[in-house]
Amino acid sequence: MFEFLIQRAAISVVTLVVISMIVFTGVRMIPGDPARVMAGTDADAAGLEAVREKYGLHDPIPIQYLRWAALVLRGDLGESIRTREAVVHTVATKLPITIELAFLSLLVAVGIAIPAGVLAAVRRNTIWDVLTSGASLCGVSIPNFWLGIMLILFFSVRLGWLPASGFVSIWESPLANLQRMLMPAFVLGTALAAVLMRQTRNSMIEVMSADYIRTAYSKGLAGRAVVFRHAIRNSLIPVITILGLQMGALISGAVVTEQIFVVPGFGRLIVEAVFTRDYPLVQGVVLITASSYVLINLLVDVSYSLLNPRIRIRSSAGDA
Amino acid sequence: MTPSASTTAAGPAPADVAVGPWHRAWRRTRRRPASAAGAVIVLLFIATAVCAPWIATGDPTQGDWKQIRKAPTWAHPFGTDDLGRDNFSRVVWGARISMQAGVFSILLAIVVGVPIGLVAGFYRGALDQLIMRLTDAWLAFPFLILAIGLVTIMGPSLTNATVAIGLGATPAYIRLTRGLVLSTAAEDYVQGARALGAGDLRLMSRHVLPNIASSLLVQATISVPIAIIAEAVLSFLGLGVQPPAPSWGTMLNAAQQFLETAPWLAWWPGLAIFSLTLSFNLAGDGLRDLLDPRDY
Repeated sequence: MFEFLIQRAAISVVTLVVISMIVFTGVRMIPGDPARVMAGTDADAAGLEAVREKYGLHDPIPIQYLRWAALVLRGDLGESIRTREAVVHTVATKLPITIELAFLSLLVAVGIAIPAGVLAAVRRNTIWDVLTSGASLCGVSIPNFWLGIMLILFFSVRLGWLPASGFVSIWESPLANLQRMLMPAFVLGTALAAVLMRQTRNSMIEVMSADYIRTAYSKGLAGRAVVFRHAIRNSLIPVITILGLQMGALISGAVVTEQIFVVPGFGRLIVEAVFTRDYPLVQGVVLITASSYVLINLLVDVSYSLLNPRIRIRSSAGDA
Repeated sequence: MTPSASTTAAGPAPADVAVGPWHRAWRRTRRRPASAAGAVIVLLFIATAVCAPWIATGDPTQGDWKQIRKAPTWAHPFGTDDLGRDNFSRVVWGARISMQAGVFSILLAIVVGVPIGLVAGFYRGALDQLIMRLTDAWLAFPFLILAIGLVTIMGPSLTNATVAIGLGATPAYIRLTRGLVLSTAAEDYVQGARALGAGDLRLMSRHVLPNIASSLLVQATISVPIAIIAEAVLSFLGLGVQPPAPSWGTMLNAAQQFLETAPWLAWWPGLAIFSLTLSFNLAGDGLRDLLDPRDY
């Protein structure tokens, strides 16, 4: 178990180092003077020199990378060209909004996908199975930004039930906050639900044919008890892994959803940073996103090994 | 996934072995009408993309200031947009852009990813480890974040969006190919060919690649619709195709400002993306069945 965790963590560290190299190289590929790129077009000679000094732009590239990596490890991702605010600070103010959106959409996704997936598996090859599989296929195929626009068209423009856009902090007014987060969370959640539903159905079908389920039935347990007490719990283990892998899709989805519903979160920050050519901000945001993806998946793997004792045994076999 | 029992229920009768592959394909296609319908719709979209100049009723970029945001009529079946351009023609031309981005980006991913995966899986060892760690790191960038990073460096355009989407899809092909090669290279027929003196290049191109091609094809049917949506998303955000070129994504971006006065602008491009990706997914499901050798 311990060995597995160490091995898994080591791989994550290597991945993080490679990610940082990719991001570092990416900024170097932007045409022009790197000092100019990091300081912005309106920086004066003194400002440019300060940037050169900070990042050691006169040194050889590997030294520059190490110097930059040391700054990053200390939490210094530079400052935004546009606002002159520390990138870490900007991100910290935007991130809670996106985390709330992601959390709500996870609730939507799990709330739809797990009951529907279980239903499809238990009532396999009935109309319920066909309906949920069809819904899942539609969910995968529908572009979420179009779904968002259609929801605004229907619920805001036609019916006037929900505000089309805008944001109210949850501390200010929880109700107004939820009203505005409902549609974005639904849009983001359904895309995830479509994938999770398939996975839940498949893994539930597999579990339902296991010996211990047959034993549970032959003990005389009612179908409901077997499904709820024995089958669901085990069938959800692989679903957790898929959930971790879907985090990337969730982040991408948040970028688009926040754009449509004008939610001032992390996703909107990225798009704004690109349009204003705020390179330090783009760099910081990309680095933070990729790193959190790696860390989330490390956590997922660790929790997976806690939930599934079998994986601890084959840990030393390695996966790569 | 559609119920697999329908395929086993209709089961292979002993006489099935005697008929030719085309007959068998036809029989399986008839068992899955939804996939067949999907394939037909995909073909219709391809035809639309190829024949756009003849199908479109007007110039997709030429506006008419007297016809601004008109509701659908016989002359303009999908209405006109905020610059008085015929929306139907724009949706038709949009098919070409979507197909281009969807197909070329995945071709790029295959051209880059398959050889790398082939080498990693065939030679194993340190090179394999290096490639896989790089692939892991590459995969950690959520697709849109990667595309945004690349477009920031290269600037927004259809070509750059296609390259960004292709590079985003590449790690999936490296991993898939590597996994397939690992299992195929151990097969007796590959070992046999090696014993007969076949070189590495010959082994890879003549023995391994043909046997993993169908799995790669199936993967392509899964990734093309994803790439089509990706292009629409990038163009919607303003990071892909630039106006006035008619991309479904840019059209939806423009439509968003006129939801109250001209909702039809938002219907058609979105419906086009949805029906194309849905058909692709349906057809892909069918193709997976068709190519599955276990189901003979």
